[in-house]
Amino acid sequence: MDTPVKPKPVPVVNPWAKPFWDAAREDKLVIQHCKDCGSNIFYPRIACPNCFSDNVEWIQASGKATVYTYTVVESNPPSAFIVDLPYVVAVVKLAEGVQMLSNIVGCKPEDVRCDMPVEVVFETLNEEFKLPKFRPVSKPL
Amino acid sequence: MSKLKGKVAFIGIGEVPTGRFPETAAIYHAIESAKLAIRDAGINKDEIDYVLPCAALFSPQFNTELVTCRIVEELGLKNVKKNCQIFAGGSSSTCATDIAASLINSGSASTILFVHADRLGTGVSLQGGIDLFSTAGISSEWEVPYGQHYSSIAALSTMRYKHETGCTDEQLAAVCVSNRKWAELNPNAFFRKPLTLEEVMASKMLSTPLRAKMSNMLFDGGCAFIITSAERARAVTQKPVYLLGEGGVVTHFVFSQEPDVSRFGWARAGKAAFEMAGLKPQDMDIAEIYDSYPIYQMIGFEELGFAKRGEGGEMFLKGDTWPGGKMPTTTNGGMLSQGHTGAGGACALIVETVRQLMGKAGDRQVKDAKFAVETAVGGTYMDAQVTILGTEIP
Ligand SMILES: [Zn+2]
Repeated sequence: MDTPVKPKPVPVVNPWAKPFWDAAREDKLVIQHCKDCGSNIFYPRIACPNCFSDNVEWIQASGKATVYTYTVVESNPPSAFIVDLPYVVAVVKLAEGVQMLSNIVGCKPEDVRCDMPVEVVFETLNEEFKLPKFRPVSKPL
Repeated sequence: MSKLKGKVAFIGIGEVPTGRFPETAAIYHAIESAKLAIRDAGINKDEIDYVLPCAALFSPQFNTELVTCRIVEELGLKNVKKNCQIFAGGSSSTCATDIAASLINSGSASTILFVHADRLGTGVSLQGGIDLFSTAGISSEWEVPYGQHYSSIAALSTMRYKHETGCTDEQLAAVCVSNRKWAELNPNAFFRKPLTLEEVMASKMLSTPLRAKMSNMLFDGGCAFIITSAERARAVTQKPVYLLGEGGVVTHFVFSQEPDVSRFGWARAGKAAFEMAGLKPQDMDIAEIYDSYPIYQMIGFEELGFAKRGEGGEMFLKGDTWPGGKMPTTTNGGMLSQGHTGAGGACALIVETVRQLMGKAGDRQVKDAKFAVETAVGGTYMDAQVTILGTEIP
């Protein structure tokens, strides 16, 4: 394989999501919360996707989550991820009820299971970005 | 509820073989398919007054030609009022059917030609294809940075489905085997050699538990269909294929926002389509279920009511869905065996549905087929589209 290693894709940030990425750079996981209907919101929106209110604030999430579903990518990934094989892609459900895509790190890929408890860790992507990822928690929630 | 039941009918279909044709211009797949559809309908080409080309992904240049009326000019269609691109990813053909039916029923159009053609088999490299489908329709802010791509997406659905139902890898592989049985009988399919469970299970792991032979491959291809009013259809053909029901549910853009990745909106979309048609799943002679990966065919099959959740796998394994089985399913071989042509997967599936109901399916003809259901889905399984067609109006 003489394919040159492609640089990792960085998040293409929408202006209204900037507080999320600013917080991630400081190892904080934040989500939106609607002060009118009480919904927790992820990914960030320009208005509450439940009641359409603009009365939305940022709150810090607990960082606790469970693995809703996952896969171990073993081959044929996007070019930039060939160097990472094998890696785990997962949909995690935060304790606050919202879902997000992430990677499960800090364990053997074959040890990941659906519904296992995980917690957030932040991995540096470059000077500008840290990506929230998740690792197994040693004790149950 | 839609008032389109029985108001319009398919009168002609055309399709070119799916495969790798590096010497063939993409426009050929489009205009040859359209020509075949017009000949199949047995109408004068100048009856067509509306052309709906589907978008093509391999080349912006080619796509622009489709937008700017090349099909109309190449075929010398003299009475076309509008040439207007329709695109909803894999759901394009279903959306086009609904829109065409509405245009005809309102009097805005009389005879509509829909055409799909793309060259994803030879127009882009293998890695180029993977890279295209690791960004197309995948959120560049929330998923691309984590290495998400279409195999991992299918694997995420498969893993959760297995967790909730106890479905085995063999049962998923059986979907691939079932589709291949049909493709063996389909001259337009790319993969026509018999396939065994063992071969599927021995193929390379892509993203657990999804293996290489559980993945579609991208090819060149094209197909077309013609829709007109029910009255006009009865005048020009012995076997009009009526639109009887349709149902659709849009669920998400970002895959990880889908609350139920092993069900999606199929039950709701199916219920709407069957209610509109006044029919039940048991009335269907054929289930043309969108595959792309075995998990999505399994979910669609079960959620539409052809098996209880978690029990579809046994039907694929036992041969109920094979040629000669009690519930013929995805009878062109699907994207897993006929081949994936981008947005064309479900275009080929609706063309196959019409072909079967017209009695033109050759060696794989389902005897006396009267009613069939067809499904389509686009993007990262962003929607659930269900269409019911029949040779009579119940
Ligand atoms: Zn709200």
